[in-house]
Amino acid sequence: MNTQPLKNNISSYIIQTHEEEIKRIAMELHEGVGQSLSSLFSGMQLIETAIEQPAMRIYAGDMKQLLEKAIQEIRLLAVELHPPTLTTFGLISAIKSYMKIYTSTYGIEVEMENLGIESQISDRDSITLFRVCQEALVNIARYADTTKASILFKWEKSMLLIMIKDSGKGFEVEAAMNKLSGLAAMCERMHLIGGNCTIFSKEDHGTSIEISLPLY
Amino acid sequence: MEFNLDSKSKEEQPFKKACEYVLDEMNGDFVGLALQNRKGPDISWHYAAGNRNDKYKRITVRYGKGIAGRVISTGTPMKIEGFPNNIHGKALDYPIMLAENLRCAFAVPIQFKGVPKGVLLVGKRTVQPISESDQHKILDAAKKLEKELNSLI
Repeated sequence: MNTQPLKNNISSYIIQTHEEEIKRIAMELHEGVGQSLSSLFSGMQLIETAIEQPAMRIYAGDMKQLLEKAIQEIRLLAVELHPPTLTTFGLISAIKSYMKIYTSTYGIEVEMENLGIESQISDRDSITLFRVCQEALVNIARYADTTKASILFKWEKSMLLIMIKDSGKGFEVEAAMNKLSGLAAMCERMHLIGGNCTIFSKEDHGTSIEISLPLY
Repeated sequence: MEFNLDSKSKEEQPFKKACEYVLDEMNGDFVGLALQNRKGPDISWHYAAGNRNDKYKRITVRYGKGIAGRVISTGTPMKIEGFPNNIHGKALDYPIMLAENLRCAFAVPIQFKGVPKGVLLVGKRTVQPISESDQHKILDAAKKLEKELNSLI
């Protein structure tokens, strides 16, 4: 009995449920906790201006600063969990936002090129493509030992091609696929949405990851 | 408080020189100085010596995150040995270690008016830990930098 389609369905279901849960937590943080903290911040601003006693006024100011930090933390955490621009503005916009965070986190500059017109793709496909690109970029920060990377999007009539390249230290693909579950997971995630992911790399010769997804 | 670090003025040369001096004095491979930004709680690496690339200039960490963020938020030194092993959290939470390919580091807070506002980090690209005597030297260097910082700003 061939159980492969069933396995794929289960993997797909688990990933989708996981993503939905992440999205829900991100929304709750942003629109629930984040909004409550913003209201508290406005209230604290009012209180601060109304206080006449200098010492208490300074104390209220410190509390306001702490609230500001907490609001920023919540916002960033929500964006890290699930990019809000993905659903509203699409994949390219979400990747551009992520690239800014990526460069300021790891110091690696990413050059991006977008060829063709962005097609509308389903939420499930968008989040998968985003996560695979994110994993590829994170791997560059973790292992490549390089200062630059590039990402190319090519929108064709019936196919989306994405190429992520770096000129870092590279690795032996076969050995790494067995060792690093992240690489295998990238390919698996692409297969689950009917796409493909191929990794080319050689020690001291950088890495190139080609992702493709049929567009219907 | 305001660090005028947007323009590299003459007053800031001591910080760069201090990094170079610490690098010469210690058995380290990298020395970095991070300071909390003028606006907001974020922290950036402003000066370095022994760096292999310029990634540190683009790295900004949040208050409480990364080595610099944690040292500033706790106000206590932090020691890392055998990175990426023996760490709290993920290796990706330590961008300066990844950027400079460091295996060991010792980072100490630099106080401004009694509040931690900066971090002096000494790192090694080998698994050999930073010795006790070097840790004391790093703490002394941080104290000197503190004096410099408090007299300049």
